[in-house]
Amino acid sequence: MSTEKPLFPPLLRRIGLRLGAALPALFCVILFTFIMMRVLPGDPAVYFASGPNAGQAEIQELRHRMGLDAPMLVQFLHYLENLATGDLGRSLTTGQSVAQDMHDRLPASLELTLTALAFSLLISLPLGLTSAWWSGSIYDQCVRAFCSACFCIPPFVSGILLVYVFYYWLGVAPDPTGRINIFLPQPPRVSGLLLIDSALAGDWTAWHEAAGQLVLPALTMALFVIAPLTRMTRAAVISVLGADYIRTARAMGLPTWRIMIVYTLRNALMPVLTTVGIVFSTMMGANVLVEKIFSWPGVASYALDALVSSDYAPVQGFILLMACLFILVNLVIDLLLGVLDPRVSVE
Amino acid sequence: MAGYAVSRRTFLSTTLGGGISLGFASPGAALAQSRRETLRHVTGGAVNTLDPTMLGSTRESFGLSMSVYDRLMTFGSRSIGDFSTFDPQALKGELAESCDVSPDQRTLTLHLRDNAVWHDGTPVTAEDIKWSLDRCVSANSLARPQFSSGSMSSAEQFRVAGERTLEISLPKPDRLAMANLAMPYAIMVNSRLARQHATSDDPWAQQWLQHNTAAGGAYRVGAFRPGVNVTLDRHEDWHGGNRPFFERIISQTVPEATTRAGLIERGDADIVIDLEAYDIMALSRRGKVRIDSIVQSNCFTHLAFNTQSAPFDNVLVRRAIALAIPYQDLFAASIFGRGRPLYGADWSGHAPAPDFPQPLPFAQNIRKARELLAQAGHPDGFQTTFSYATSQTTTAEPMAALIQEALGHIGITVRIDKLPDAQFNTMQARRQLDFYTDTAAGWIEHAYYFFYLYFTRDQRWNFSNWNSPRMVQLVEKARFETDEAAYVAECQAMLELLVDQVPLILLWQPNMDAVTVPDLTGFIYQYYRQVDFRTLARS
Repeated sequence: MSTEKPLFPPLLRRIGLRLGAALPALFCVILFTFIMMRVLPGDPAVYFASGPNAGQAEIQELRHRMGLDAPMLVQFLHYLENLATGDLGRSLTTGQSVAQDMHDRLPASLELTLTALAFSLLISLPLGLTSAWWSGSIYDQCVRAFCSACFCIPPFVSGILLVYVFYYWLGVAPDPTGRINIFLPQPPRVSGLLLIDSALAGDWTAWHEAAGQLVLPALTMALFVIAPLTRMTRAAVISVLGADYIRTARAMGLPTWRIMIVYTLRNALMPVLTTVGIVFSTMMGANVLVEKIFSWPGVASYALDALVSSDYAPVQGFILLMACLFILVNLVIDLLLGVLDPRVSVE
Repeated sequence: MAGYAVSRRTFLSTTLGGGISLGFASPGAALAQSRRETLRHVTGGAVNTLDPTMLGSTRESFGLSMSVYDRLMTFGSRSIGDFSTFDPQALKGELAESCDVSPDQRTLTLHLRDNAVWHDGTPVTAEDIKWSLDRCVSANSLARPQFSSGSMSSAEQFRVAGERTLEISLPKPDRLAMANLAMPYAIMVNSRLARQHATSDDPWAQQWLQHNTAAGGAYRVGAFRPGVNVTLDRHEDWHGGNRPFFERIISQTVPEATTRAGLIERGDADIVIDLEAYDIMALSRRGKVRIDSIVQSNCFTHLAFNTQSAPFDNVLVRRAIALAIPYQDLFAASIFGRGRPLYGADWSGHAPAPDFPQPLPFAQNIRKARELLAQAGHPDGFQTTFSYATSQTTTAEPMAALIQEALGHIGITVRIDKLPDAQFNTMQARRQLDFYTDTAAGWIEHAYYFFYLYFTRDQRWNFSNWNSPRMVQLVEKARFETDEAAYVAECQAMLELLVDQVPLILLWQPNMDAVTVPDLTGFIYQYYRQVDFRTLARS
């Protein structure tokens, strides 16, 4: 018993080390976005003091209120001081604090991205596995063509097409405006993810509506990432198929499904999982067009609106949030890799 | 182990059971509420504050506040053909029953309605009005510069003269004072409620009023989710006008114009006013929606020069360009002819009417343009940049291309520069744009007010950075002019000066296209260019 190592301390230490190592990177992100926003030509005070009759005095007043009349170094120190207390600043676009906006909007983006990721995995894993199994066949060629087609169509085109066909033309999809039918009350917020919250509240009408609203935008996003995931799965499976233990398994006469799922897929999952991490992080930030087309109240479209109007705080907050998410996702992926292959977690 | 399982199961069943009972308990009120009594408005913009006077408030915020807050005065409406528009000449009471003007035109006496109540049911008092007006001229907000255009700049000018009477004294008779009381910024606030949320740093409760209301208008705010949607519920005790038809309003942000068009055509949304011209053309061909196409009478699209820097500081260059512009082609290509031209008038010398904006006597004449340019010392032309903002792309892109081509005929090489909006606005305010297009709308349709806003003073809205002592003199005089004939003559002189000096070239007034489901009636074009929910109804 004394030889058994305690499970948690090394794991926790590893998480702590990883997070600690991320701090300098985070600081660089903060500094970079701070400078970038101020280098961009565009004065938020001028943009927002735009009512008729608003003159120089109002612009000056707004600049003062936003602290933009101070030297850049003072502004930066002030920003860091606020960050330390969890204050990300105020958005002029929505009139709310950025932290509040993120709190309201992040679940929308997360729910959409997670659903899209689930869709794309449901499609790509079987496709990748089967096309590797029968690699070189006509079926494999068809899968390759399908992947290329998905990858070629940019999300804003496929999104608009899907809306046109399923909402406007066939009338089977709900109107592409947001997360839930506008005439329905939102379920009480627990997690912010509507599917979970409405299930918790037992409000199945709302659940159904929310799920319906998710299908088209999630599909649009999924289409775009099917190609990398399928190709990655196929490549990984092919390399595993050449391994000795697969040959042995075949020689031993194991059923095909068992070789496919248990011996091949599980061992091929490692590179796929790494790709999933990257794809997820990219999707979170890059789904701005999908959010725009489907009026999805997520963080990416929020950041884009802020960028267009040179609204500093939301853009900085968004990039910081994305950086943190990226670090967290990578950490989670690494831990999962450890579960898949115990050799990885050995320090 | 067993203990754990039981507790887990109990936990789950309690949560789920609780959730389900909650689900049944929630009345589903919104569901039951008839779709007929609910209006769904979709827009590309977003409401960012419930207090329209906040620095940085969006146009959608102005529009929403018209239904939520009452002003003392309001504009009436008039019909043009099948459509309706606001009537700048017909000022009437909203929260005030009437407004008396003293013979010397220096005192306005406002009599409040007897039955006026705030949303919380408490009666509206003269003290509330005094506090609200004080807030307009004292707090750091957009209301202050607006009120100063009506000679109201100090709290001492407002006096409670009775339980329901209030007096406004003006230093000079100002023709814009009363109209200023109807502006979106002139909100009347429930002062007792607002004061509870005022602090020593924020005596006018500006922070609190951004996300809360202390109002008495036709609608109260149900839910406010900035940048996503706002819902309004009818205030049943409102007496500032006819009782609104709709019990509930949902104003929702839908960024994609094409999606907005689709929502209206399928009948899922009821009204939209910010569609792209090509969508409107397609919708009108298919004929499934109603389109109220109304000239925006207080609005003008123009080409502006920086009159303080070469080569546009030379009036001959400006005149030459005004003669080289292919007005008809621009009008057709840029807004598909959906508007009122502000060029091609046949008067010269003496302006026939004192109105602004009105068509000016400009037309294309390439030969004369070349001559003028040679006289100006640029026989071989010059190089310049034409700029526009990204948000104007659909109209400005064809315009820019045509201007580039036309000015090429007189030797001027034009580089086209499309700028993100924030950058465009910043450069505009800093006078870094030489030649550009923009659209402006004045809220008070008095010729002098337009000239005051757009052609005088060193401020951002003086688009062409024009410095004409003669114009300043005319504007100053017209502002306090009590003799109507003299006022008309001064406004005509301003127009003639504008035509002579060409600080900017007027192009047209674009139409507002209100696209609605076929059974929606009562749309009125308002000077703040947003939907007034109070007059809409279903037939």
